[in-house]
Amino acid sequence: MTRLGLRARVTAAFAVGALLLAASMALFSYDLTRRSLLEERERTAVRVAYFDAAVVRSGLDTDEPDVVEVLRSLDTGSGRRPLLQINESFHARAAEVVGDDPVPESLRRMVRGGEPAVQRVRLNGQPTLVVGIPISATISYYELTSLREVEDTFQVVALTLTAVAIMVAGSGAALGWYATRHSVRPLTAVADAAERIAAGDVTTRLDPTTDPDLTRLSSSFNHMVDQLARRIERDRRFAADVSHELRSPLQTLAAAASVLTRRREHQDERTATAAGLVVDEVARFQRLVDDLIELARTEQPAQRQSVDVAALARESCRARDLPENLVHLAPGTPARWQVERRRVEQILRNLLDNAVRYGGGPVAVRLSAAGDGVGVVEVDDAGPGVPPADREVIFDRFVRGRAAHARAGTDGTGLGLALVAEHAAAHGGRARAENRPGGGASFRVELPGSLS
Amino acid sequence: MTAVLVIEDDDRIRLALLLALEEEGYTAQGAATAEEGLRQQKEHPADNVLVDLMLPGLDGYECIRRMRRDDDVPIVVVSARDDTHDIVAALEAGADDYLVKPVAVKELTARLRALRRRGRARTTPVTAQVFGDLEISEEAGEVRKAGQPVPVTRTEFRLLCELADHAGRVLSRQQLLSRVWGYETGDERLVDVHVGRLRQKIEDDPANPRHLVTLRGLGYKLQR
Repeated sequence: MTRLGLRARVTAAFAVGALLLAASMALFSYDLTRRSLLEERERTAVRVAYFDAAVVRSGLDTDEPDVVEVLRSLDTGSGRRPLLQINESFHARAAEVVGDDPVPESLRRMVRGGEPAVQRVRLNGQPTLVVGIPISATISYYELTSLREVEDTFQVVALTLTAVAIMVAGSGAALGWYATRHSVRPLTAVADAAERIAAGDVTTRLDPTTDPDLTRLSSSFNHMVDQLARRIERDRRFAADVSHELRSPLQTLAAAASVLTRRREHQDERTATAAGLVVDEVARFQRLVDDLIELARTEQPAQRQSVDVAALARESCRARDLPENLVHLAPGTPARWQVERRRVEQILRNLLDNAVRYGGGPVAVRLSAAGDGVGVVEVDDAGPGVPPADREVIFDRFVRGRAAHARAGTDGTGLGLALVAEHAAAHGGRARAENRPGGGASFRVELPGSLS
Repeated sequence: MTAVLVIEDDDRIRLALLLALEEEGYTAQGAATAEEGLRQQKEHPADNVLVDLMLPGLDGYECIRRMRRDDDVPIVVVSARDDTHDIVAALEAGADDYLVKPVAVKELTARLRALRRRGRARTTPVTAQVFGDLEISEEAGEVRKAGQPVPVTRTEFRLLCELADHAGRVLSRQQLLSRVWGYETGDERLVDVHVGRLRQKIEDDPANPRHLVTLRGLGYKLQR
């Protein structure tokens, strides 16, 4: 069974509570009303019965009394029925049908004993009040008063009270729903904040609240996010710190390596080969450290400015001894984009290097616009293409595609495409690898918000 | 032979740099502290100075500032630090360029060559150019403001001449980086800080420049 939500439970509790309260109030008021109405009715009935009994007594105070006539002379309306018991036989008005035993035995005994008495009975399914008044030792007068009207009144009252109880319960439920909406609202804020943090925005904090009941929630939530942010920052800083620490020894190595290169002709063959290895590896080490530092820096959002991307692309080609006419600016696409220069430069540089190393050299650098101001940089190569299984992972850190593994001894750092992806992400975009219909791979970088 | 002074407290880095620079044909001397470097530069002025920022005693920034008081020698910072704050502070102290360790020796010598240039090869000699109360005499290598000579570093002077040659026209930061520093592509903060330094010297109100104006998103231009 699925557990009900907090709101549903609170609402149900409110409804049940309200119903219980309303129902007990209703029962109490019903009972009170009923009792006072019945007492009132009883008093009236007894008073009237005494009066009628006096009339009957005087009517019977003749030599040959006509019992039926006496009873008929009573002005009883339709609500009351007189009954006269003389010895053991009952006399009623002729037209009226008297049940077999309208007057309970206990009542009869009391009246026969000379005491007036009252009792409520059900007669032919009708609630009836029986009042008994002794007239003489052998004669008792009974009056049967229908309580139907009173019962009807009770029904109306009961109905009304039930309706009220149901309405109160409904109001209770509504109140509960409304109240929980307010008390659940801080939870909604927490959920929103958590979502933003999960999406990578660790600067998100809950507003410090003045509500004493919620201060603890918001302060402990914010404390948690602080801790989280600090830990993330520490991990990020670690890679950056290590890289920075490597810079000084690398400077010594770089300078010493350049001396070895310069002195190559003075070295014997084996020394020269060893020196060459040292020089090459120092250069690779240096690129790796540069890329690691760059990667630690990519967390920050792009700082956009107006950049002539077409000129930058041509410049990037020129710096790699590649022909400038590789660069194609799609018709209608402006040359100046709103991007961060350094990042786009690295995107171009790394994609071109990637094409040179693994893709048999770049065949085109295409700059175009997609809808909504998205600037698109594509670098096509003439290599074997990227297998579908590798298309996502080649943008991960230190992952090289199969093509790269096939060419062992490469001088790549394994971070070039990861940096491309990070720089694209810093612009709110992404990087993808596709295969071109004519063969070869196409690396596509989308930079939203570059073209206004 | 070009003389280079290397102010670097790490013995191994200093030794390796001296070896490499000598191999490249420079006369190189080293100093382990800022104080020693300042003294050496006073006694045997070098043509270029390389300085680290993290030095015991006087730090690199102060070293640059003191050296700048009476010396227009090109100063290049070689530091492991790469925060914008450090770079800008070093340039504002008076450095001409900023390189982050590790620097390839080839790159280092290219920077040194670019900074040592004074003026450019010209076919037609130009007389002094006048911008209001500002007078730039390229041949004399002199800048005067209201008749008084203004002390500018070589790099500031080349930047000013470049802007003066294109008076009234905008030069982008990238164009200036390439023409003044010889970078094909580089750090634009270099231009911004140098422009700021020039304004301190040639503008009446550096915050509201009259001659050397910024064109947002485009670059800088010099006007009358």
